[in-house]
Amino acid sequence: MTTLFSINDLCVDVPGRRLLEGVTLDLPRNRVIGLIGHNGSGKSTLLKVLARQIASTGSVQFEGTPLPDWSAREYARRLAFLPQSPPSAEGMLVRELVALGRYPWHGALGRFSPEDDAYVRVAMAECGIAPFADRLVDTLSGGERQRCWLAMMVAQQASTLLLDEPTSALDIAHAVEVMRLVRKMCQDRQRSAIVVLHEVNMAARFCDHIVALKDGRIALDGAPADLMHAEALHDIFSLRMEILTRGDGQRVAVPA
Amino acid sequence: MSLEQIILAYGMIPRGVIALVAGAALGLSGAILQTVLRNPIADPTTLGISSGAQLSLVLTTILAPDLLMAGRWPIAMSGAVLAAALVMTAGARRAFAPVTMVVVGMLVALTASAIATAVTLAQGEYLLSLVIWNGGSLVQQDWSGVQALTLVLSLGGAAAALLARPLRVLSLGIEGASGLGLNVAAVRLAGIAVAVALAGAVSAELGLIGFVGLAGPALARSLGARSIPERLVLSTILGALILSVCDGLVLIVAGTSGEMFPTGALTGLIGGPLMIWLLPRLRGSTPPGTEAAEGPAPRRDRPMPLLLTLLAMLLAAAMLLVGIGRVPGGWAILDAQSFADFLPMRLPRLIAAASAGAALATAGAILQRLTGNPLASPEVLGVSGGASLGFAIVVYAFAAPSGAMLYAGTMTGGVIALAVVGAYVFRRDMPTERILLAGIAVSSLASAVLSAMMASGDAKSWTVLAWLSGSSATVLMPGALGLLSVASAIWIAAVAGRRWLAILPLGHGVSAGLSLPLRGARLSLILLAGIATGAATVLVGPLSFVGLMAPHLARRFGLALPGLHVTGAALIGALLMTLADFGARMAGFPYELPLGLFASLIGAPWLFWLIMRGQR
Repeated sequence: MTTLFSINDLCVDVPGRRLLEGVTLDLPRNRVIGLIGHNGSGKSTLLKVLARQIASTGSVQFEGTPLPDWSAREYARRLAFLPQSPPSAEGMLVRELVALGRYPWHGALGRFSPEDDAYVRVAMAECGIAPFADRLVDTLSGGERQRCWLAMMVAQQASTLLLDEPTSALDIAHAVEVMRLVRKMCQDRQRSAIVVLHEVNMAARFCDHIVALKDGRIALDGAPADLMHAEALHDIFSLRMEILTRGDGQRVAVPA
Repeated sequence: MSLEQIILAYGMIPRGVIALVAGAALGLSGAILQTVLRNPIADPTTLGISSGAQLSLVLTTILAPDLLMAGRWPIAMSGAVLAAALVMTAGARRAFAPVTMVVVGMLVALTASAIATAVTLAQGEYLLSLVIWNGGSLVQQDWSGVQALTLVLSLGGAAAALLARPLRVLSLGIEGASGLGLNVAAVRLAGIAVAVALAGAVSAELGLIGFVGLAGPALARSLGARSIPERLVLSTILGALILSVCDGLVLIVAGTSGEMFPTGALTGLIGGPLMIWLLPRLRGSTPPGTEAAEGPAPRRDRPMPLLLTLLAMLLAAAMLLVGIGRVPGGWAILDAQSFADFLPMRLPRLIAAASAGAALATAGAILQRLTGNPLASPEVLGVSGGASLGFAIVVYAFAAPSGAMLYAGTMTGGVIALAVVGAYVFRRDMPTERILLAGIAVSSLASAVLSAMMASGDAKSWTVLAWLSGSSATVLMPGALGLLSVASAIWIAAVAGRRWLAILPLGHGVSAGLSLPLRGARLSLILLAGIATGAATVLVGPLSFVGLMAPHLARRFGLALPGLHVTGAALIGALLMTLADFGARMAGFPYELPLGLFASLIGAPWLFWLIMRGQR
């Protein structure tokens, strides 16, 4: 089976407004999927539906099972969600934050076993934050902090990562660093990631698959190459963009 | 003129007119405050301004009555200005976040009324006139009050008219307004000054009339007043109507016999439910109410020695304080024989005080972690308010209530208050800080009803007042051990829930992502805090600040992990309360001061220090 999420006629309403309108979509497994769109297009809303954080109508299946049939704990073991701009983890050490990722496994009262500890170590090593294990999270830089949160998701042993604008608060160097890490995490360990991104070029460069939303509907569902066309970008953002080709053949979009 | 004519001309007609004028002033004051602070739940009551005026009048009446020769106005005004300055300073350091402003305002109001109670208790002969004033009675004997308030209202109205346009620019927010060349600070100051003057004038003339300033603008908004001039005018008119209707109701219900029944108590009755109704309608775009309490607090690598030290200090303090006593003419340390004699007498109250402190501190630690707001404390959860109300109802409803009946009434009141707050937890996506506001609404409702009851001037109000100030003197061993077991159970439950306490401050998204049962976790933690507060309230009364102080101290001492934080807070709470009990026993020797009162007098300065520190 290669489908991660199978979404059928999904609608989300808030009083007076429809945020998502009849979204029907299959998302592939073991890919980095970029969700893009203009402000208010519903990309974050879609991600929150997939994370089971908001109510919706229509049907969504994750790994072949409808979302309501998953128990909260089983779901959290298979899928990890990082909200936009995670809160400050006041007074917490890096390893303690990462250890919170074990919650779906040991629960509120279960023992924190050596096995749990081992997963925490592996997660910190994978995200390159082992040297900071005993530092306070608050004292790290933005990029390092974001890698801590990613490590927490790794410790959760989830094979699917949902990330809501993980790069929005970072400068360009840290943004690239975080996206590289996400990409590596998916390639090396057979994980899938769905990432809400603001920046078209970032999405084209680091994602295998692009889903674009416009006014709560699907505007594009395809490869990054399909996105990098002036017409496609105009459909999504209602803005004329020019496509330039770099020396290595990679295409970049700039406002025309 | 006949007697009826005199009563009509100098009693009833002025009363009717002053209801209109005072209501208008309060409505305008609330509307200005709400616009200036961009906070739909701001009004002279929720920001503590009226209570400040009240406290200064009580203090002056009792401590320096000569000052009243110049009239009540200057005194009430200075109290109102002081309270407003305090709350605004706190607000300025927190970007005027609406919820925080109201939490600070209510804490100031609660503290002011605690101090007023203390002073009133100490000087009983003035009680009756004071509580009637506190309750906001509209009874008039001539036209002077009407004249004075009309003057203030017209000046305030003129000032508001001048401010209308700057206020509209201010409604864009600070950055936007100063970008348009507006002197934000000056406009804010002017607006707040007008609002405080209006509210202070009403306080000086009539006393504490709560929530008209909240209800007027709220009604104006729901009637569709959009622009700021519309809102100011409509709020003024509606405020006048609301107070008139309330006063009419009081006159009809109470008849001639209940002439002294304060109308302010009735407006408080309406205000509590109104706030509960308004809360879910607060716009989400307000600045975040959560804040980093006091910058990075230290973190201790090896917490065990600290916890053991605290435990040792607690035990040592207990032993020592049993053994030290005041005798006429000096201090004495008991010899072995007297120690053995005194122990059975002093042990129960010692255990009870320490357990109450531990329970309150645990509740405070839980609430501060749950809401992510460092000003959250059991006092604002509403449980104490509900419990006091339950106690008062039993005192008034039964001729000679037994101890068990009082206890049952207290517990029932607390549970009902808790249920109201718990209902909020069940609302989807309700920010935890608004749960605090629900608690505040319950508290203010309770205090309104209480002041109405007391204003009856019955001898029973003494029983209630005495209980409100809290005393450990009458505790017996079974009660003390019961409280001890409640405190221990709650501490164990809180330590067992430490993983929830670690994850919940990280917010809704992270908690749900980690499969934390969000509603269940919040509800059970609120219940836990509520039970702890209720159990302790029975002993120390509704206010002590231990629940606010102890968790802060624990965090300052470097206890960062939830389990350690809760444990440290419990130990510190127990220690503080033991010391407060000793102080209450000794300070007024040979008389005892009420324990809760003594603890709040220690806690209040701490609270103000905390408020003033603010955010870095």
